[in-house]
Amino acid sequence: MDLSESKDFLVHTASLKEVRVFSREVFEKLKIKNDLKEELVLAIAEAAQNIVKHAYKGVENTADHMQIKISLKNDNLEIGFFDKGKPVVEENIQHRKLDDIKPGGLGTFFIKQIMDDAVFKKDQQKWVNHLILSKKI
Amino acid sequence: MSYKITEEGNISTVFLDGEIDMDVTEKAKEVILPLVEAGKEVHLNLKDVSYMDSSGISVLIESHQKALENNTKVVVKEVSKSVLKVIMMAKLEQILNLE
Repeated sequence: MDLSESKDFLVHTASLKEVRVFSREVFEKLKIKNDLKEELVLAIAEAAQNIVKHAYKGVENTADHMQIKISLKNDNLEIGFFDKGKPVVEENIQHRKLDDIKPGGLGTFFIKQIMDDAVFKKDQQKWVNHLILSKKI
Repeated sequence: MSYKITEEGNISTVFLDGEIDMDVTEKAKEVILPLVEAGKEVHLNLKDVSYMDSSGISVLIESHQKALENNTKVVVKEVSKSVLKVIMMAKLEQILNLE
């Protein structure tokens, strides 16, 4: 079953629950098994959290929205994240070493563990950042 | 997220409920850290926590480390399957006191 759905969310921590609800609804339509579904929801929630936490760092109560687009075509799952925050500097994105036990720095590690690929595209005029997570399912 | 705390001797058990993400981590820390700083042994019961992301994992790490500083401990109990998976993904099952 091929499908493509997108939804806009206010850039705010309170939106993270809505992001998970939206993601679960789409994955249920795609009949993705529960274990994989929850892993994918975690990856999406971590990427959305990174937008709130990093792209909008220091910005409180913005009216900006981020967009999340989930598409499945020929068993290739693609999840797009669009935002108008600060441009992401890819060289600065790194997770902490796992043996360096301290709070923080795990979100990007989870995304890399769960997804096959994570790529920032510079193909949008309307948006500033466009991240694509992909996975063959 | 909602919570309930029970006390028995020097052990405080915090029953957390719901989903723990970045939106509720400050609230979770406000509940847990003062108990640890008071020198209590804190048991975190996670049986009703259905979801935890990296922010929630950070709360567990911070609580664990704060407990070591205060010569006490945090025990993570009755972890739900979904949360255990995230703890294991972070390779923390040997670091946190899981029961």
